[in-house]
Amino acid sequence: MNSLKSQGFAPVVSDLKKDGSEWTVKEKIMLGLSPKEYWAVQLRNPFNWVLWAIYAIGVPILVGRFIFGLGWVTHSSYDYPWGLFLGWGLFTMVPLSASGFMMGTTVELFGRKDFKSIERLGLLNGLLGYLFAVVFLQVDLGQPWRLIYPMFVSLGPAAVLFLVAWHVATYLTCQVAELVPAFSEWMGFPKAKKFIKSIVLGLTIAGIILSTLHQGALGALFTYAPGKVHPLWYSSPFQWLHFFVSAVFAGLSMLIVVSTLTKWFMRWRCDENYLSNLSKLTLGLAKGASMALITYLVIKIIGIAHDNNWAYLLTGWGAWFMFEMVVGVILPLIFYTMAVRNSNASLARFAAILAVFGIALNRLNTALIAFNWQLYREIPHWRELVIVFTVYATYIVVYRAVLARMPILYTWKEKK
Amino acid sequence: MKKLNRRSFLKGGLAGGAAIAAVGTSKQALAGTHNFGGYPDSMGVLVDLTKCVGCRTCEAACNKEQNLPEPDKSFDDPSVFEERREGGLPRRTTEKAYTVVQKYDVPGREHPLFRKVQCNHCNEPACLTSCFVNAYKKTPEGAVIYDKTVCVGCRTCMVACPFYIPAYSYSSPTNPVIKKCIMCYDTRLKFGRPPACVEACPQEVMTFGKRKDLLKLAHQRISDKPDAYVDHVYGENEVGGTAWMYLSDVPFDKIGYDTHLGTQPIISYVKEFLGMVPMVLTIWPALFTGFHLLSNRKDAAKNEENKS
Amino acid sequence: MGGRKKTLLGMAALMLLTAPLAAQSWAAEGPGTVELGSLANYYSAVTFDHAMHTGVAASCAECHHHTTGLAPTDPNCARCHKAGDKANSVACKSCHSDKRFSAEDLAKIEGNPQLHHKGKLGLKGAYHQKCLGCHTAMGGPTGCQDCHTRNDKGDAIFHSGKYAPAPGASDGHGGGH
Repeated sequence: MNSLKSQGFAPVVSDLKKDGSEWTVKEKIMLGLSPKEYWAVQLRNPFNWVLWAIYAIGVPILVGRFIFGLGWVTHSSYDYPWGLFLGWGLFTMVPLSASGFMMGTTVELFGRKDFKSIERLGLLNGLLGYLFAVVFLQVDLGQPWRLIYPMFVSLGPAAVLFLVAWHVATYLTCQVAELVPAFSEWMGFPKAKKFIKSIVLGLTIAGIILSTLHQGALGALFTYAPGKVHPLWYSSPFQWLHFFVSAVFAGLSMLIVVSTLTKWFMRWRCDENYLSNLSKLTLGLAKGASMALITYLVIKIIGIAHDNNWAYLLTGWGAWFMFEMVVGVILPLIFYTMAVRNSNASLARFAAILAVFGIALNRLNTALIAFNWQLYREIPHWRELVIVFTVYATYIVVYRAVLARMPILYTWKEKK
Repeated sequence: MKKLNRRSFLKGGLAGGAAIAAVGTSKQALAGTHNFGGYPDSMGVLVDLTKCVGCRTCEAACNKEQNLPEPDKSFDDPSVFEERREGGLPRRTTEKAYTVVQKYDVPGREHPLFRKVQCNHCNEPACLTSCFVNAYKKTPEGAVIYDKTVCVGCRTCMVACPFYIPAYSYSSPTNPVIKKCIMCYDTRLKFGRPPACVEACPQEVMTFGKRKDLLKLAHQRISDKPDAYVDHVYGENEVGGTAWMYLSDVPFDKIGYDTHLGTQPIISYVKEFLGMVPMVLTIWPALFTGFHLLSNRKDAAKNEENKS
Repeated sequence: MGGRKKTLLGMAALMLLTAPLAAQSWAAEGPGTVELGSLANYYSAVTFDHAMHTGVAASCAECHHHTTGLAPTDPNCARCHKAGDKANSVACKSCHSDKRFSAEDLAKIEGNPQLHHKGKLGLKGAYHQKCLGCHTAMGGPTGCQDCHTRNDKGDAIFHSGKYAPAPGASDGHGGGH
């Protein structure tokens, strides 16, 4: 598409074509290309070939999971009831999607209108991350059709997961609402946008509350397993705080990573406003992320001091923990700080990749690797891995599809 | 039912998470420091590991009583004791076996020690407190039972159980549920009868009775024969106390028992977060609206400056 | 010793209700063989060679505690029970309940706060702990079927014999790890 644009292709940016007639919905979905052109573009894209390869293997296995049960795709472990579906799909995807409430807060609450051009990407990153976390959850639940049981059928309100369920559900709704303006512009429903604008402050504050609680709650889920999670990754009083604060830099870093990807691979879809502001905004996000990183580092140290876990640092687990902290927290912190000081957006982008890796490592450590640290390590079944790739590929497909169409990376030109 | 107050307090606080209704919980919060010590007349089982000969009759009786699937090997086949699951660990409870006997060769002990494993039926069960569909119930008789018709299959209870007891029927694609010992509640305990394993045991390794009486009995046995037992009744205080308790002549940590579980019920480790929930719900809206007004005020001031 | 012999006779008669012909020969102190069958369920009754065991045991008190009138061998019992502390019946089942942990059994214990032997074994536990304990120490047979053969019902519950699972029946799943 980038090459198409350099050849003079103009993507949809308003209700009207160049000649003054209106785009039909079908044309909008086809990105303003003729069906023939559209499919030709899709076929040319080598990334799509990779996706097709993943689907060729992954879809049958995903279907098989629902026909033959979880026992067919996982090791049916009683000791490790949670595998990659939750370790990656829920515990990693959710913090990486904290960008939604972060950007909402920055722009709508603190009035930093200068972040406006990246706000929608932050919101979308949030929405899709949560949506696919729920998809992963549905793959993992033994009886996914009972998902609404905790809401309406049999309530266990004193359980942490009850809170997660309710908050993720309400927050998803909240995020859909926050993205209604983008959708309404694209589809031409101005009323919906107006309505959301009138309640945006309420939505944003609800988003903060819900995010604080469920990001924290995902951490608190592990406080049910005091003896199972390695002490370096466990802290009864601070677990929720560790998860919440790390979600802040995780969300911001993920936003930097995604915006970098859009800058490279979807440049055709970005408008001047977005592209020209991106480096400056990346540094702004980097600043926020470095604040969260230093806070996180300090409360992690407090966590170790509180439970007097220093001795564990000298063990093999300690070395692994230090690796996570150095590569996933301290290095990004240093690089982010240097990037902000020297206005070096590229360095901030590198720091963001490290931070995203660090958060994934932290969540996988807590949920899988340092879980049952006194027993044995669970190596996921290959089919489990294939399903994770398949669902994540779908996440990317949907992400890309929305970015290519709705006014996320560009500003919609309103009818005069 | 003053003892239940903390749980209902937490319920109140968390229910507020859905409907911002943290009002009216403060009175109960005062009672929130109490621990639920268990139902006063609940039943329990005292297992004297020194008496077990590893005949696995309990496993056979459990299989029959609970209508469990056919075992992989006969119940009189001692080769199961040598079976090792991942990590070199002895076999554990599964969806096909609610109780298993493990064998430990203890250095210096003339004969191997056999250990029966099944749900310990905690006074304040982690599975129960972690379940978001309220599937679990601690009955006044002492059993921890569950309602499989509401189980969603999130398996948090398996994560939460400090004893690694609940198993899951992964093999079922359409109706996978948690599988664990229910102390024969439906067929026996409810009617005042001992669990099938207790009744079947030829050695009377297990003594069935009121938990409080069993505790006295356990300590009496230790004091009667101080050389025959280590001075510890496992389950008396572990994670807030369990209905099934154990006597042994070998230190418990040498025979697979986790002796670092502490005496607090698992839910107490989650309390810090649960207590914070109503705070966030009430403080955050005001706090962030305040932030918003403050940052708007700056804008407003700027606008006025620009005007003048 | 005539009175004691009568008691023993009575006890033997009680125990032999199921197999009255079992006790044929008499040693000096007690029955020759005893058929222990009151609990038989998954196993056949045990034909207990009492005469042989009286020859092996150092004292009747090894099994009968203080009830035969001899001094108990367990020093813990000896704190209260002295020699001559005879019981009306020396049969195991006159003291050890064959309905241990039944509601009645539990109520009986509960209803008597002064009761010292609160944890007294039931009949099955008493038999097995006594027999197996000694057999283990003395090198006697300890296998279940060394003393009583398992019947069809027993094979069924143990999934053994003709009820044994087919080898390799496990599908590899569901075992978990």
